[in-house]
Amino acid sequence: MNLLNPLTAPLALIIFGAGAVAGALGVALGLGGGIFLVPFLTLVLGFPLKSAAAISLATVIATSSAVTAQRAGNQLINLRVGMVLEAATTMGSLLGGITAQLVAESVLRRLFGVVAIAVAVVVLGRVNKRNVILDPTVDPGRLGGRFYEEESHAIVSYRVKRLPLALFASFIAGNVSSLLGIGGGIIKVPVLNAWCGMPLRAAAATSALMIGVTATGGAIIYYGRGDLQPLLAAPAVLGVQLGSWAGARLTYGASVKWLKVLMATILVIVAVLMFLRSNQ
Amino acid sequence: MNRDRSGLQRLETTIGEVLRFGTITSSTMFAIGLVMTVVGYQPAVARLLLATGLVILLATPPARVVVSVIEYVRERDWTFVLLTGIVLLALAGSVVAAYF
Repeated sequence: MNLLNPLTAPLALIIFGAGAVAGALGVALGLGGGIFLVPFLTLVLGFPLKSAAAISLATVIATSSAVTAQRAGNQLINLRVGMVLEAATTMGSLLGGITAQLVAESVLRRLFGVVAIAVAVVVLGRVNKRNVILDPTVDPGRLGGRFYEEESHAIVSYRVKRLPLALFASFIAGNVSSLLGIGGGIIKVPVLNAWCGMPLRAAAATSALMIGVTATGGAIIYYGRGDLQPLLAAPAVLGVQLGSWAGARLTYGASVKWLKVLMATILVIVAVLMFLRSNQ
Repeated sequence: MNRDRSGLQRLETTIGEVLRFGTITSSTMFAIGLVMTVVGYQPAVARLLLATGLVILLATPPARVVVSVIEYVRERDWTFVLLTGIVLLALAGSVVAAYF
């Protein structure tokens, strides 16, 4: 398939639709849409993985900016933790972006397969430690935070532990983000929640802030190398934005257990296909 | 501590405004550019709109980091000036890797 052909209306619609579905699924599962969008673009539409990753990174940036703009001011986002960890994610994404230019398509496909399996495991077994200190007078420390928790209808605080581990996870997340076109929240959020003391919602909001600048580090490299085309990125970005907007309304309060099992199954199939087609 | 928190609150609000502006501007350009492309009206203008929208999309998170650096310099919080500086340096590294 020649990506330089003028964009036809049907292709634009297909990319827009795929973005919308990926965005809605992402919101429902608390993931970014990239983990679904990239395999669709590469396995179904036949785009090279680098182009698919580049388009997906553009949608990650748009989602991060939109979500963070909406949340700014409610104290769920931990700006300090975000900016400490961004130093690691952007270094990781710079390295990942350079690596993506050097390694073969087959290697990227196998790596995507491995990550898809890991994501399936996280989706099925996601921990949700509350990690909150109910006494609002406790000093959360320089990196900790304080926010209004809906479950307990109170202001709660938390402390951040094991910063080196968080930095390491962020570096890896940035690396994988650039290489495969996903946000990387799927790596950071479980680590921040399970081992570093952050409540799940604060970890997710902080990660959503970080993935924008992380994805930009990778997207700039793809753009400069000609792998990120505005004509293909535009419908994907608009689709994902519509999808996340709709998904946030559709799944509010709904049980997503069956959806998790279904998506984990799809991710395993994606992994198998990525491995099978990595030798072609 | 109080001054610290109010600075953080102000920064969060400014960041929100920068991100909202970038999102709305790039999405609007994408939408208009795509419709023009699909119907075949003024292809050159459509291409320009799509390209500009993409550049604005890519420039939005770095703009947010620049705003943060400025705020931390104002607060003389040198640790965070250094950290956000590292982020800008890494992004500059991406530009170098993209074109050289």
